[in-house]
Amino acid sequence: MSLLTVENLVVDYGHIHALLGINFHVDEGEIITLIGSNGAGKTTALMSISGMVKKTEGKITFLGQDITVMKPHNIARMGISHVPEGRKIFPELTVDENLKVGTIANPRYEKQRSLEARDRVYTLFPRLKERLNQGGGTLSGGEQQMLAIGRGLMMEPKLLILDEPSLGLAPNIVENIFELITRIRKDGITILLVEQNASMALSVADRGYVLETGKISLEGSGESLLVNEEVRRAYLGA
Amino acid sequence: MDYAISILVNGIVQGSIYALMALGYSVIVGITGLVTFTHGEVMMMGAFASFYVFELFGSNILIGAIGSFIVCGILGIIIYKVCYERFLDAPRHIALICTIGASMIIKNMAQIVFGPNQKPMFGIFENQLIKIGPVQLSVLQLVILAIVVILALGLSLFFSKSKYGISMRAVSQDKTAASLMGLNVNANALLGNVIGCGLAGIAGMLISVYYQAFQATMGGPLGMKAFSASVLGGLTDSRFAALGGLFLGLIENFGIAVSSASFRDIFAFIFLILILIFKPQGFSKKGGIKL
Repeated sequence: MSLLTVENLVVDYGHIHALLGINFHVDEGEIITLIGSNGAGKTTALMSISGMVKKTEGKITFLGQDITVMKPHNIARMGISHVPEGRKIFPELTVDENLKVGTIANPRYEKQRSLEARDRVYTLFPRLKERLNQGGGTLSGGEQQMLAIGRGLMMEPKLLILDEPSLGLAPNIVENIFELITRIRKDGITILLVEQNASMALSVADRGYVLETGKISLEGSGESLLVNEEVRRAYLGA
Repeated sequence: MDYAISILVNGIVQGSIYALMALGYSVIVGITGLVTFTHGEVMMMGAFASFYVFELFGSNILIGAIGSFIVCGILGIIIYKVCYERFLDAPRHIALICTIGASMIIKNMAQIVFGPNQKPMFGIFENQLIKIGPVQLSVLQLVILAIVVILALGLSLFFSKSKYGISMRAVSQDKTAASLMGLNVNANALLGNVIGCGLAGIAGMLISVYYQAFQATMGGPLGMKAFSASVLGGLTDSRFAALGGLFLGLIENFGIAVSSASFRDIFAFIFLILILIFKPQGFSKKGGIKL
């Protein structure tokens, strides 16, 4: 059974149709990527999963439960951790407090477990440990992205949603981030990834969907999309 | 010299009450992201609540403080439900106008229920003076200072150490990110309103005990003073808000020393206008609740 299924999802912003009925599913343990140009509806699709936008039509199921109209914080508590575009860390909280926020709402946490989770994040990101009492807003872009992902991992999610994790980062840091994504998957966390950097995203993904002006135009395994003529022309600049 | 010291002491005591008002104010504005104009009326209700608590349970300032915190905390829930809950994502002026309306309703209801006249407050402490070197202050002044300092330290500890405090700060900085982290934005904003209004209630009790008088229309200028003090911190930084309150108390007391007590409010509002002209963003750098 799929971990997450999105069926016939339609989202309108006033008169603008952002999504025109898309279907996709994410199976346990997979890395799935949605690629597409600006304004194709990728972020809208993610925001609808985590309950931040109102859906006109469609059904979203997570762990067999209908989450279409659930409140965002309840969806998060079910085990979906959404690392939003632009990182959205809390600039006036310290690095340590930012991470703590990830555990506060989790009903499964007792203190010991949250300390363990924090240690895991710090081993994953030693850079953050060096800066643990620094304000989140004083970090560099790459460190902020690490903090945002770390904060998401603190929730011990079943599904980690990453929206443009490489946006605005230097090429060597982008490589770090993608290496990290494969490491997170090895820990048994399913990942739904949205990326402008389509070649990077497809090279780590098991399956991918190509989103074009609110519709899914292509789907297939990561490798097959990577060699697909249309995808290469439109998104890989080849 | 003695005269100057006594003005200084009066200014600090009065300023500490203003600081408490401003602390509550900045917590509310910080968490909702919207300006409120009900704060003065909440303080007025705090004064009335403490009066009835003193009447029922005897003149104990701690019981009075707890009573006015509870009553005003409940009032904070009502104000949040009416003025904020549906309007967090709406244009800012909607909640603002809503709070102006709510403050009018509370003020006029209070006049109907409690009567429009000024009432004398219970004398909680005997008028005894304590001398510390050249400084002379009454027991009441000392108690007021102690209550404000304890509450300010408690609030600071709450926001830096407890998980509720940290999640409230997270919500005040980024509501979208906070709800993606599983925080219930509505519940946090509600809690912020309860704390802010509860502190306002205690401030209302202190001011009525200090002046030995209270009435249904006392809220207007008090609310404006809480606003003036908070402006110094860009409305959301509680450290600067507290400092602003202290400063306001000093300005007022030195002002009336060189003029007349009936000009009291003039100085506070000249201060507000000057800040708004020269430093409208306040002295704080970024938004969100701060310690």
